[in-house]
Amino acid sequence: MSLLASLPSPGDLVELPFMRTSLIELTLLGVAGGLLGAWIVLRRLAFFAHAVGTATFPGLVIADATGFSATLAGLAVALGYAGGVERAGRAGRDPGDVATALALVVALALGVVLASDVFESGAAVDRLLFGTALGLDDADLWVAAGAATLALAATVLLGRAWTATGFDAPGASAVGVPVRTGDLLLLGLIAITAVAALPAVGALLVASLFVVPAATARLLSRSVSRLLIVSVAVAVVQGAVGLYVSLWLDVPPGPAVAVVGSSLYAVVAFGTAVLRSRPAPNIVEAT
Amino acid sequence: MTPADRDGTPAVPPRPSVAVAGLALSYGGGSPVLDGVDLSLPAGSSLCVLGPNGGGKTTLFRALTGELTPLRGTVYVDGRPAYLAQTERTRLDFPVSALDVALMGSLANGRWWLPPRRADRAAALAALERVGLESRSDIRFGELSGGQRQRVLLARALVQEARVLLLDEPLAGVDPASGERIEALFRELRDEGRTLLVSTHDVDSARAFDRVLCLNHSQIAFGDPATALTRDALERTYGDEIVVLDDDGSGGPVRAVTVQHHHH
Repeated sequence: MSLLASLPSPGDLVELPFMRTSLIELTLLGVAGGLLGAWIVLRRLAFFAHAVGTATFPGLVIADATGFSATLAGLAVALGYAGGVERAGRAGRDPGDVATALALVVALALGVVLASDVFESGAAVDRLLFGTALGLDDADLWVAAGAATLALAATVLLGRAWTATGFDAPGASAVGVPVRTGDLLLLGLIAITAVAALPAVGALLVASLFVVPAATARLLSRSVSRLLIVSVAVAVVQGAVGLYVSLWLDVPPGPAVAVVGSSLYAVVAFGTAVLRSRPAPNIVEAT
Repeated sequence: MTPADRDGTPAVPPRPSVAVAGLALSYGGGSPVLDGVDLSLPAGSSLCVLGPNGGGKTTLFRALTGELTPLRGTVYVDGRPAYLAQTERTRLDFPVSALDVALMGSLANGRWWLPPRRADRAAALAALERVGLESRSDIRFGELSGGQRQRVLLARALVQEARVLLLDEPLAGVDPASGERIEALFRELRDEGRTLLVSTHDVDSARAFDRVLCLNHSQIAFGDPATALTRDALERTYGDEIVVLDDDGSGGPVRAVTVQHHHH
């Protein structure tokens, strides 16, 4: 009952200045994450997107303790990680699930050790891992706006090449699509957008912005263009609802957005499964 | 065949459509996975590429598309070849329609950053009509039958205006009726002057081609199927996977099938 009684007014999201900033931030990230998420899901890069976010964690801990720019530190680690994955892929050695999982564990452990024993900045760990709705500033908004603009421009210019590559890479390469350049740009953009998302959702839950909305949209889309549109719509809505839940329950926005997005996925997955299992009407084959 | 001039001086032979000389290929600069390939194909001819799994068929195709740089030797292909992977190797869950796939051929114009033009769309629809799939243009690629998917990839090659087509096991998993339709399309494409390179496991089908190439990490044989498919060549190509059906003992061409050994 007390939870319901403390239900905030949805208007608070726009009226409270720090909430307004967070709402703009999550909307911009929704555009960037929704668009890139569609490509991530189509290209099966979900685990990479998760890993690239988490890999930044030790870098963020060092930046936080030394007063260095968290954006630059995150960017250095994320682009370094993306470059390593691309190099391995070009040499014909897919880093594979095991290597990615190891990188995740090492990054998380290193970050925690650095935070608790070297810099003794334990209080910052929550914020770095799960994000914050408070303390976002104009610089964060500009970075998110930059990521959204880049994602939109890349989707318009590279969408055909990314689709052809994802469908059939050797065939696309033979047609003349710049497969390797396209892949490198996609990995780089995911890294940049993951860093842009760090202040709001944190290193551990970056994938909730990238993967979850696009996975939901995938259930509802039969074309790439529709997948892109639905994915952005889901990402923006889950951002706003997640922020509202975060205000209501006083939890960081990262987990709130993740829970809202995953619940939406579960509902849509259940709904489409029920619809599909209903007996189809009798259709006489015409050909 | 170019006729000789009236006064008896031989005409200049036409430039080959595909020419490979002394070719060796490796991945990442290691030891060669395929060596000693020499072949030349005139425009409008067909080549059957035989060999065991891992024998170098797909590797050769990757060199012809330019994806793989030769370790040694030279590769010439007339224009940009089309590559048709086994359709099981494409992403069958991808949200693209038959028309979307055919339209991918228009990326060959080099302007991949622009949306397809009206003329591209018309060319894609015309290509789908040519392969008999105009009524299925909106169907998702993964929902088509194996034979229909192969025809959509052929439509993509037509939109690409490729003069050389590389096909990886185009008839694997295709029902016989679709297979006949696809083979009829192959003959049409060849009659238009296009060159077809087809990799297959089906030794018996090699007879229908103008030339045959046997690969097993190196070139075992190249030439007219009537003379190149000897028992010795097939045994060196396939090892114990080959079963010779009839052999007159002359050392000439034989009939044979390959069997896949499953190791448990």
